[in-house]
This record gives sequence, structure tokens and C-alpha cells, in this order.
Amino acid sequence: MNTLMDFLIVSAVLFAIGVYGLIVKRNALRMIFAVEILINAANINFVAFNRYLWPSALGQTIVLFSIALAAAEAAVILAIVVVAYRLHDDIDVSELKTLGG
Amino acid sequence: MADASPYILITALIASLMLIGANALYPQQGSVFGSLLSYDRLGGFFGVVTLLVTLFVTVSSVVVTNERPNAPLYYSLLSFTALGMLILSYAADLLMLFIAWELMSLPTYALAGFEKRRAQSNEAAAKYAIIGALSSAIILYAISLTYGFAGTTQIAPAVRAIASQPFNPLASTAILLFVVGFGFKMSIVPFHMWAPDAYEGAPPTISTLLAAATKKAGFVAAIRVLLAVTTVYAVTQNPVFSTANVFAVLALVTMTLGNIAALTQKSMTRLLAYSSIAQAGYILIGFVMYAYSTGVGGYQQEAIIGMTGSLFHVLNHAVMKGAAFLVASLVLFKLRRADVQAYGGLARRMPVSAFTLTVAFLALAGVPPLSGFWSKVLLFLSVLNGPYSWLAVAGILNSAFSMGFYAWIIKRMYMDESETTEKVNESTGFVVVFAVAVALIIGLGIFPGPAIAFAQNAIPTIFAR
Repeated sequence: MNTLMDFLIVSAVLFAIGVYGLIVKRNALRMIFAVEILINAANINFVAFNRYLWPSALGQTIVLFSIALAAAEAAVILAIVVVAYRLHDDIDVSELKTLGG
Repeated sequence: MADASPYILITALIASLMLIGANALYPQQGSVFGSLLSYDRLGGFFGVVTLLVTLFVTVSSVVVTNERPNAPLYYSLLSFTALGMLILSYAADLLMLFIAWELMSLPTYALAGFEKRRAQSNEAAAKYAIIGALSSAIILYAISLTYGFAGTTQIAPAVRAIASQPFNPLASTAILLFVVGFGFKMSIVPFHMWAPDAYEGAPPTISTLLAAATKKAGFVAAIRVLLAVTTVYAVTQNPVFSTANVFAVLALVTMTLGNIAALTQKSMTRLLAYSSIAQAGYILIGFVMYAYSTGVGGYQQEAIIGMTGSLFHVLNHAVMKGAAFLVASLVLFKLRRADVQAYGGLARRMPVSAFTLTVAFLALAGVPPLSGFWSKVLLFLSVLNGPYSWLAVAGILNSAFSMGFYAWIIKRMYMDESETTEKVNESTGFVVVFAVAVALIIGLGIFPGPAIAFAQNAIPTIFAR
């Protein structure tokens, strides 16, 4: 039988993977994946807490909102990445270094 | 044919400013939409500030977007951001707060990359969007932990549940993640690295919005969520890591690093970005005594002075930084240059802009009798007595230090010769905004009373919890 702790550990591991991906990966698409993993780590938390501690629909409702917002966010960032690809023929973010001083 | 979209947005913004301003003066306290939004003076205060900046940006953008075919898109995105900031100001539920946060952030990612054929604009958008997405994901994770701890997403009961226990690892992790998530938007050191790049590359009118408005929305979220949970030690049970100490260190590091980095900048927009980071540090000073007062007790008077100073500085900083960034926008738009050399002899070529920038810079440095002076006095007074007096010393030293690079730019504009003394036509929209901003800076400096009362009235809603 799964316990609440199992879900929290999975979620914490996903969170760590997401942060690792954002820090280490230089490919813009991989960074978007990392952000999606972070958001899903939070979603697992919501559903697990809802299931084991607070049996109302609140946690699952929040997850529905969060999925929609994550999709919107991914759409905007993907659009920016597409523009970057047209400008540079590449989506390696370490190529983005014209700013600075 | 002239495009009507900016004028529609200007009308809407003025109407909502008047409505919110009137309601902030005579509020009926309470909550609406099943207590998703709290209808209080704190929300009214930040609503006025953010809408004022959006109005400045919209009026000045008219001439910039005039030749673009997709101008209506620009203004609709601006209005979504304004709506997001407004809802965020009033949010009383963590779910509402998160949705408003995204409604505010998503359009600004697109706006930062609005000049899509210019590589810098796209780069700014990419950096800003990825860091922004990280910050909202961290906030969502923090909300999930708070929900697990308290069983509700209502801010007030959740915060009461957290505050009723002296130490809990789950709650402390949530608070820490909230600090990080909001910290990115408030661009406090060490979460500031995106800000200079984003402000430099984005269309400068949008940088104005980012520096003066969405940043303030980050502060209202921090005030609503963080300031009432100060009895929780941030990392361990060791009192060294109390939230008051965390705020004090963040304030010190933020203002010092911001000012030092600003000194070395060659580009005006980057200089303004770092100066904006430094100002965030000053605003944080006001949080310290409040956190100390709720956590340890005593110093109620200082806590009120500090929060009044913070809110007043939020208003002042929005006007000062908005004016300064819009001057940089006009110079970039007319002269196509953003480096500080372009400002040599500017007083002869663009007298109104040079005067506005001078007033804004003097106010940012805290020269009496301008508005920035009074908010800094309140901020430093609040920490003068008590355990954080070193923060007042650091703040005063920082102000004196920042005067160095502000005066250097002012000297450049008035004393130096430019390559050409040819007059540049200053667009009407910008001039109107400059006049209003200068009037506000000088007016609030000579008669600070009403604005301080406005800020102070917003505070009891925080104490009420």
C-alpha cells in the first residue's frame, strides 16, 4: 500500500530533476521540459495531499487550473523559442549572449 | 489611419484608476467571489501604483508603436498584464494569487520579445520567460506544500495554521520557496541575474513596465503571503535564521550589490536595471522590523513606520523609475542609442527629458525635498532603534554611494558637450508623462502627508491577521 510519504518523495525527486535540468541543460526545449517537470511535481503534491489528508475536491481542482496554466506558459515560451530558432538557426541558450556588459 | 487601441486602453486605465483610487479612500472592507479576492486598502494601494505605471507606459508607447502593424496586440497584452497585477493586488487565496501571477507574467514574456526581428529583444524574452517560468513553478510547489500543511489555500487561515506552530520543516520549506519565487519577480539579490539582461533587451517601454509595475506586484504578493508567517524560522530552529534576519541580509546584499554593479555599467538601461535592484533592497528594509515585531514582539511603532516607508517607497519608486526608464526609452527611440555617452550634452538637445531624468535621479538618491527622501527617512528611521541599526547605517551609506553615479550622469547631461547640438523633437505623449511624473515627485516631496496617510491606511489590513 502506498503511503503519503511515497508520493511526497516522488514529487521531491521530480522537483530536484527539474531544477537540475534548468541549471545544467543549455537546450531551450529541454529547459521547457524541466519547467514542466517542476510544475508536475507540485501537481503530484496537490493530489496526494488531497487523497490522504484533506478529502475535499480542492487539491484536484487546483491541479486542473495548474495544467491549463502550464499549457499556456509552454505555448508562450515555445513561441519565443521558435522566434529564436528563426534568428539563430539554433536553440542553444548559450548562443544567446549579445546582452551583457 | 491612426490606430484607436491605445486610446481605448488609456480611457479604461484612467477610469479604473479613478474607481480604485476612490474605493481605496473609502473602502468597504470585505471579500468577494467566495473570498477569492479581499477587498481592502492594501489591494487598493498597489492597484493604484501598478495602474499608474501602466498608464504611463501606454501613453508613452503611442508614438513608439505608431508605425507598427501589430500595435493592437501590444495594447491588448498590456491590458492583460494590468488586469493580472490588479487581481494579484487583491488576491486573498493562493490559487487566485497563482492565476493572477501567471496572467501578469505570460503577456510580459510576449511583450519583452515583441520586436521579434531584433535578436536582443528575443534574447531578453527567452531569459525572462525561462526564469519567470521557474519562479512560477517554485511558487506553485510552495503553494502545494502550504496546502498540504493547512488544508486550505485561503491565505489568512493557511498563514494562521503555519504561524501557530513554532517550527515545522514542511511549512519552513514552503516559506523558503515563496521567498525564492517572489524574489525572482522582485529581482532581489541573489535572484536578480535575469533583470539586467531582460531590461536591456526588451523594448524600453516594456522594461519600464517590468521595473516599475510587475516588480511591485511581486512585493504585494510577498507582503500578503510572507509577512504574517514570521514566527516560523526560515531554515532551522536556530534563531539566527529567523525571517527578520533573512529579510535584513537580503536587503543589505540587494542594495549594496545593486549600487556597486550600477556604478560600472556602460549602458543606461543596464544602469537603471541595477539601480532598480538596489531600490528593491531599500523597500525590503521596511519588512525587517515588521517581521521582528511579529516574531519576537515589541517595536510595534517601528514596524508601522517601516511598512509605511516600504509602501511609500513602492509608490515613489514606481514613479521615479518609471520616469527614468521612459526617458531612456525616448532617447533610445530618437537617438537609437542606449550607452551613457549618448547622454552627454542631452540638456541642450532634449531639455525636458534631461530635466525629468535629473529630478528622477535626485529623488532616487534621496535628495530632499523630493519624494524619495521621505520614504527613505521612514525606512531608515524604522530600523534605527533596535537590533538592526546597522541596516540604517548601511542604507545611508548606500544612498550616498548611489549619489555618485546619479550625479555623474546629471553632470554628463548638463556640463558635457555633445557631438551635435541639434534639437531633437520630444514626442508629446512622453512629455505629458514626464510632466505628470515630475509633478508627482516634487509634489509628494513638498506635501508627503496625504501619500504617507494613504500608505499607512493600507497597513492595518496586514496587521489584522
